[in-house]
Amino acid sequence: MDNRSTSAVLDSVAAMELWHSHLLREKIDQSSLLVQGNRACALGALDAGVRFFAGYPITPSSEIMEAMAYELPRVGGVFVQMEDEIASICACIGASLSGWLGMTATSGPGFSLMQEAIGYAIMVEAPLVIVDVMREGPSTGRVSAPSQGDVMQARWGTHGDHPAIVLAASNVADMYRLTMAAVRFAQRFRTPVTLLADEVVGHMRESFSPELVGRYRLTSGDFDFTPGYVHPDLAREVHPPHILGSEAHPHVTGCTHDETGFPTNDAKKSERFLHELYDKVTNHRDELCLYDVKNEGKGRVCVVAYGSCARSARAAWRLAELEGLPVEVLHLYTLFPLPIEVIQTVARRVEFMLIPELNLGQYAREVRKLAENWTTVISMGKIDGTLITPREILDQVTRLIGKYESV
Amino acid sequence: MPLDIEQYLHTERLPHMWCAGCGIGIVTGAFLRAMVDLGLKREETVVVGGVGCSSRAAGYVDVGTMHTIHGRALAFATGIKMARPEFTVIVLTGDGDGAAIGGNHLIHACRRNIDLTCILFNNQVYGMTGGQVSPMTGWGDLATTAPYGQVETPFDLCRLAEAAGATFVARGTAANIRPVEEYIKQGIQHPGFAFIEAVVPCPMEYGKRNAPGGVLAMLDDEKARSISKAEAARLTPEELEDKIVTGVLHHKVGRPEFQRSYASIVARAQAEAAEQAETLQSESGGAVS
Ligand SMILES: Cc1ncc(C[n+]2csc(CCOP(=O)(O)OP(=O)(O)O)c2C)c(N)n1
Repeated sequence: MDNRSTSAVLDSVAAMELWHSHLLREKIDQSSLLVQGNRACALGALDAGVRFFAGYPITPSSEIMEAMAYELPRVGGVFVQMEDEIASICACIGASLSGWLGMTATSGPGFSLMQEAIGYAIMVEAPLVIVDVMREGPSTGRVSAPSQGDVMQARWGTHGDHPAIVLAASNVADMYRLTMAAVRFAQRFRTPVTLLADEVVGHMRESFSPELVGRYRLTSGDFDFTPGYVHPDLAREVHPPHILGSEAHPHVTGCTHDETGFPTNDAKKSERFLHELYDKVTNHRDELCLYDVKNEGKGRVCVVAYGSCARSARAAWRLAELEGLPVEVLHLYTLFPLPIEVIQTVARRVEFMLIPELNLGQYAREVRKLAENWTTVISMGKIDGTLITPREILDQVTRLIGKYESV
Repeated sequence: MPLDIEQYLHTERLPHMWCAGCGIGIVTGAFLRAMVDLGLKREETVVVGGVGCSSRAAGYVDVGTMHTIHGRALAFATGIKMARPEFTVIVLTGDGDGAAIGGNHLIHACRRNIDLTCILFNNQVYGMTGGQVSPMTGWGDLATTAPYGQVETPFDLCRLAEAAGATFVARGTAANIRPVEEYIKQGIQHPGFAFIEAVVPCPMEYGKRNAPGGVLAMLDDEKARSISKAEAARLTPEELEDKIVTGVLHHKVGRPEFQRSYASIVARAQAEAAEQAETLQSESGGAVS
């Protein structure tokens, strides 16, 4: 690694624009760089092989599309800024059904506009990656205040009974590796995958290098973009894809359809089809549920957290160690399908589960349903647009285990 | 002996879903004949429909077809065309699908001048949902959601498309279908956004409230009201009001087409990337870490 040449290049204005580019990055991979979460997301997408992106600007996600606008043509891909989020996701589905994989990024309001088309994508089994960098509020809210208010939108935002794969990033490395994981899951299960990030995760800069992302890291070899490719281990669960323009010249419809691709009104066939869409996801929880447990088996309280709150939870655990408080942390990278086993295993051994979230307990409600037979589930929600601090979590832990001392 | 058009038709899906007297089939027939004349390759042709009776035409065409969501067919088609530029992509839409819920996508597809062909079946009503007003329902017409008569003015869709940047714009009627076939052919061959409005009768949902003479009278009326662009130029705006101006109304060459323009950006960006890689290589003394 030649540091002189790297810094010389980084010094020039033109190169500043390029610092995140593939070719340049190869030269500087060895040292870590200060990278923004949204840019790491774009990098992850490019490294996974995403070559189609359509989007519409919205804070705090726009840097993702800006990076893609710059990078995609350099690698022979396509970027289009569409007239709105509806058009963006529809263009992505069109590309996905033509044998590419479409990706888009947005924030809460834009995510709402996409919901109808997400239902369609599920129905036509179009692999798709949607990144929602969440901001506070319904409506415009506070555009650069962090939030986790779209958790339930990501699960249930679109109409009808449907499966959902929802991941949550808590730092810059996550933005990279979970974007790649989202691409892989979308491809394997032929369904949309949503990656949630809180504003602060999208906008923060951390030192980062693809080499240093650790667990759950994927590389380009984990992806197969052959149009219509179905992973052999899923051949009995994932329907053979209908790729436009192939010899088969298929029909694709959002109506409930049978294996011919054409609509069916047959009650049995319809029900079976909808179940198959559901089952192909929920039967693979083990593969889909990514998580970390810290201080496993040693806590009376388990802090269950995701996104920015998981960072605070991890910091709180370290503080707790210093203060001799028995805390474990269940850090979830996958919110849906629900990590049932993981949550219930922890629930069986702890007295309390504490769920800090930047919403009014959207995920705590899910955890409670799964865990309340064994443990007491406490929701710790915050919606003032500030982060939950490690100290706030620790104070709550202290209160719960009856050792509260003011500090 | 099978008809020529049957090579492009899902004959096993017939009879079709449209009501007796519906004009959608007439225009679909014209489309199929245009495909035959152009000899379109089935594996390189994609037909995208939105939602509505008109959009359902896509499902009878035996090429790659998509029945999408309401109003968004052009957005799907944009993704398909950008991903697979070699495809001939045709969008079938209705006046509700294309001009109400999908109106924004229509003007933006025109503005981009992307190489798609959009055939909009204008039956002046929401047929599939049972006769509600559409943005093309005439002033004073009755509909289930205009029981006292429509008091909004319809679009002139061809002028809208032209103003928004479409480079081939034509209008015809089911009553005089041969020219429509010709417009569709020209539209598909045109290297840019082609918009073709086909005025069709909907005897069930529009006619039964507004045209007591039935579908034949509706077709006669379409004929009687049709005039050419040249004739239209001699009429006052008042005289033009209930006329259907037909023909190729706008044809422009030379305006950049979106997909090709983007392809040249890709070529440029790839060349730049390669050059930068080389510079970097020589600056670091040829050592690749
Ligand atoms: C988002 C959404 N809103 C409403 C509908 C219901 N809907 C189905 S078809 C249609 C109207 C179609 O009208 P038009 O495009 O004129 O087609 P036609 O049936 O007259 O050919 C409507 C409103 C829908 N499918 N999706």
